[in-house]
Amino acid sequence: MVHFSAEEKTAVTSLWGKVNVEEAGGEALGRLLVVYPWTQRFFDNFGNLSSASAIMGNPKVKAHGKKVLTSFGDAIKNMDNLKGAFAKLSELHCDKLHVDPENFRLLGNVLVIILASHFGKEFTPSVQAAWQKLVAGVATALAHKYH
Amino acid sequence: MLSAQERAQVAQVWDLIAGHEASFGAELLLRLFTVYPSTKSYFKHLGFCPDETQLLTHGQRMLEAVGVAVQHMDNLRAALSPLADLHAQVLRVDPSNFPLLIQCFQVVLASHLQGEFTVEMQAAWDKFLTGVAVVLTEKYR
Repeated sequence: MVHFSAEEKTAVTSLWGKVNVEEAGGEALGRLLVVYPWTQRFFDNFGNLSSASAIMGNPKVKAHGKKVLTSFGDAIKNMDNLKGAFAKLSELHCDKLHVDPENFRLLGNVLVIILASHFGKEFTPSVQAAWQKLVAGVATALAHKYH
Repeated sequence: MLSAQERAQVAQVWDLIAGHEASFGAELLLRLFTVYPSTKSYFKHLGFCPDETQLLTHGQRMLEAVGVAVQHMDNLRAALSPLADLHAQVLRVDPSNFPLLIQCFQVVLASHLQGEFTVEMQAAWDKFLTGVAVVLTEKYR
């Protein structure tokens, strides 16, 4: 069970309050698909993914990114029980979506990079550490029900 | 391996780092040690809490090596051969650590460049640094 200290929780929640989930979600998913093009394998029905600008402007990417990051917001409300919070989603990603959990780690890392670009100096090493711990915890929770 | 556009992106970002190797390198190492404490196991000589001078010195050395890689993107193997030997024979850093360093490098770039850190830059640098890591670990066995 991952345990977050009071400082780590503050580092996460204080930044999250200032995040535009819709924009950041689209950006995170878009950047994942551009930087790691093999991740496009899950999105054959998303239309035009032929270039970086096509991907970043793709409305389906933006919509799905928003959905993913909104769900991430639930993680932040349940930092003490990530496995419980993501149990159903874990089953879904294994049984229906067949997503290799390595992709959760890649997306988590991309999200951290986006937060760094939004928050600049405020994204100190300790703040980064708290967020990397959170995204790693979410990735593990999403992989927990795999069989 | 890198397209012409990717090389241009790498060079463009390097122009922003050049001259600041020490401070960027120090921040890179500080992030690496803070986020991934196990990486400190390779830096026993810096102690459990490396001070600023040590981080600046070592950070500069690492970023200067990245600078060499940037100047020789079309021939990394030759340019980095002595460093590859060093990593294979002396340092023997487990290859799993290089993605951790690369993540911290991207965070350093993103936090300094902010809105200017485009998706194309991120993609090119990730690909470039991953290529450097491959060369540095190629002689391991």
